[in-house]
Amino acid sequence: MPRKSTRLDLAPIDGKLLEVTDLHVEFRTRDGVAKAINGVNFSLSPSETLAILGESGSGKSVTAQAIMGILDSPPAFVTGGQVKYCGVDLLTMPEKDMRRVRGDHISMIFQDALSSLNPVFPVGWQIAEMFRIHRGMNRSDAQEQAVRLMERVRIPAARERAGNYPHQFSGGMRQRIMIAMAIALDPRVLIADEPTTALDVTVQAQIMTLLKELQEESGMGLILITHDLGVVADVADDIAVMYCGRFVEHCDVHRLYANPAHPYTVGLIDSIPRLDQKGEQLFAIGGLPPSLTHLPTGCSFNPRCRFATEECRVAGAPPFIEVEDGRFAACYHTEEVLNRERV
Amino acid sequence: MSESELSGLSGQPETVSGTGEDAGAADGAAASGPTRAARHVGVEPILSVRDLTKYYPLSSGVIRHTVGHVKAVDGISFDLFPGETLGIVGESGCGKSTLGRLLVSLERPTSGSIVFEGRDITDLKGSAMRRLRRDIQIVFQDPYTSLDPRKTVGDIIGEPFKIHPAVVPSGKRQARVKELLDLVGLNPEHINRYPHEFSGGQRQRIGIARGIALNPKVLVCDEPVSALDVSVQAQVVNLLVRLQKELDLAYVFIAHDLSVVRHISDRVGVMYLGKFMEMGDEDQIYDRSTHPYTQALMSAVPVPDPQARDKRELIVLQGDVPSPANPPSGCRFHTRCWRAQPACAEQDPELVPREDGAGGHDSACLFAELFSKASEEITEADQIG
Repeated sequence: MPRKSTRLDLAPIDGKLLEVTDLHVEFRTRDGVAKAINGVNFSLSPSETLAILGESGSGKSVTAQAIMGILDSPPAFVTGGQVKYCGVDLLTMPEKDMRRVRGDHISMIFQDALSSLNPVFPVGWQIAEMFRIHRGMNRSDAQEQAVRLMERVRIPAARERAGNYPHQFSGGMRQRIMIAMAIALDPRVLIADEPTTALDVTVQAQIMTLLKELQEESGMGLILITHDLGVVADVADDIAVMYCGRFVEHCDVHRLYANPAHPYTVGLIDSIPRLDQKGEQLFAIGGLPPSLTHLPTGCSFNPRCRFATEECRVAGAPPFIEVEDGRFAACYHTEEVLNRERV
Repeated sequence: MSESELSGLSGQPETVSGTGEDAGAADGAAASGPTRAARHVGVEPILSVRDLTKYYPLSSGVIRHTVGHVKAVDGISFDLFPGETLGIVGESGCGKSTLGRLLVSLERPTSGSIVFEGRDITDLKGSAMRRLRRDIQIVFQDPYTSLDPRKTVGDIIGEPFKIHPAVVPSGKRQARVKELLDLVGLNPEHINRYPHEFSGGQRQRIGIARGIALNPKVLVCDEPVSALDVSVQAQVVNLLVRLQKELDLAYVFIAHDLSVVRHISDRVGVMYLGKFMEMGDEDQIYDRSTHPYTQALMSAVPVPDPQARDKRELIVLQGDVPSPANPPSGCRFHTRCWRAQPACAEQDPELVPREDGAGGHDSACLFAELFSKASEEITEADQIG
């Protein structure tokens, strides 16, 4: 464990912080091999917000865990691809160095703040741990830094509350503490895995505003993992939609909402009830997501897709290609989807 | 509704991706007609709740003496009319789930009354209570924990018939369970499967089938879609809308998701710390809200449209919900209200009709008239720190 203040000297290459190419992850379980991620590609620049959108089981959290190198292995195995951070492949990096990347360069916020914090230590101590371990600070200096961080994430009366335990905080405040720990060492990439899912809308708005402000201050790249199309529309620059371990569409937020290029995205956007308009019957995507151990042949979405043809069932998974300038989709019928009749 | 009517209705395949034309026609008529409140003139409410409270004692010390009360529900009144949906929204801890449990008599109220079809049911006991439970049923939030993992789907949906044998004769129960499965869009062949063999959305359908098994008149839905993914959530919401039409159910729909509540509800009540802050028709609440809490809640809901990003006015409430054991004096929202005035700390405003620029609806804000969206110019001028 490095007990020095050295930070691995890595700089963005060609303006890219993170480049994930052809990532594959599978879970080897008793019921068979579940292919959780089947070839994911994306890159992230400083100050960019990329949202990874998907339903439960789509592989969005596994993608984040693979980048951080915190997959439970076994059962999970990375079976292919590269995760390059500033030109260095994290997947082949020795664990000793990886520990210095985590927290220092790339850090992560988890969904459930209560179970991610240690219940038997005061929160100030837990935040200060980042400085004690990664920066080798003494206790009092580290504690001082922790209080400063708690102020930075706008926790009222930070100095007094640093001695409190996680259970003494509300859900929103706990999530702020998680954020404080994540940004403690000024990471260049922050991965937020469903940061507001367990919170009320009013608190969710507070947390999203905080994340946006912190990003503006530090210029970090943000990967926001969520299933909420509303949150994404508010903060993301780019959106990648995941289904059964694949990106099915990836483009900037405005074009994606205005006219989705993949039938799954169409279904997702149509199925949300809108607050600003009272709808009639909701459009629902028929059927259920398939089991990852028994993916359908061809395109994984074909059994639920209204555009599906024979080609989708027999030909291999549709390639993830550029369908418009800077817009990627994995569908044989993109043209048809883009020019579909609007409901 | 009799069983024969039910069997006539079942067997229709669910239109998962239907255009909802018939739903549209029904809704259009309602919108162009008189206001929903006026429609109910002369109609007896099926459920009437008056000044309902539920206090949980807080104990402390070695001898566990009571030191105070958590006022989970603190004076709630409303009427529910046959065939309508009353949506109840609020943040976690506002008492909306406790209210749901009170309505189905899973909890005894501390005071107040619940009148069902003209009969006070607040203190019913024994067989009268059992008889009543047939008419008011509940669907729970979490489809993973509300179904017994060791029972088959047939046992789970059929259990109400064991407790209320008069509803369906014992020989016909199997057939009735299959009919119910079909009605909620599940395969009747799966009657012998266990809950773990189903996905979240399918389990919620099982919960709904159990809820409607006894042909209730009122169904309390406590966060029925919160645990589900968006695409599946839409399926379950559509199912609830269809069942309401087919079975003439009245829903009390409890949820924290304001968009879902707007979609399904005729009337909406906004709860904060055990009380209604505002109540009215769905469009009165969503388009002409007069209570600052409702307005803040609404502004915080992310709109799934990036174009709206800059146009949206986000009212970020400071701090957290105060403890219901020690609610603030006066208006209980005044500690977080961005429009609070000195009077708000002293006077507890009643939920009474207040002007909203188009006829008025119930609101519990002293300055409702001032803060209604219709009088935007005045509010700008009158705004105080």
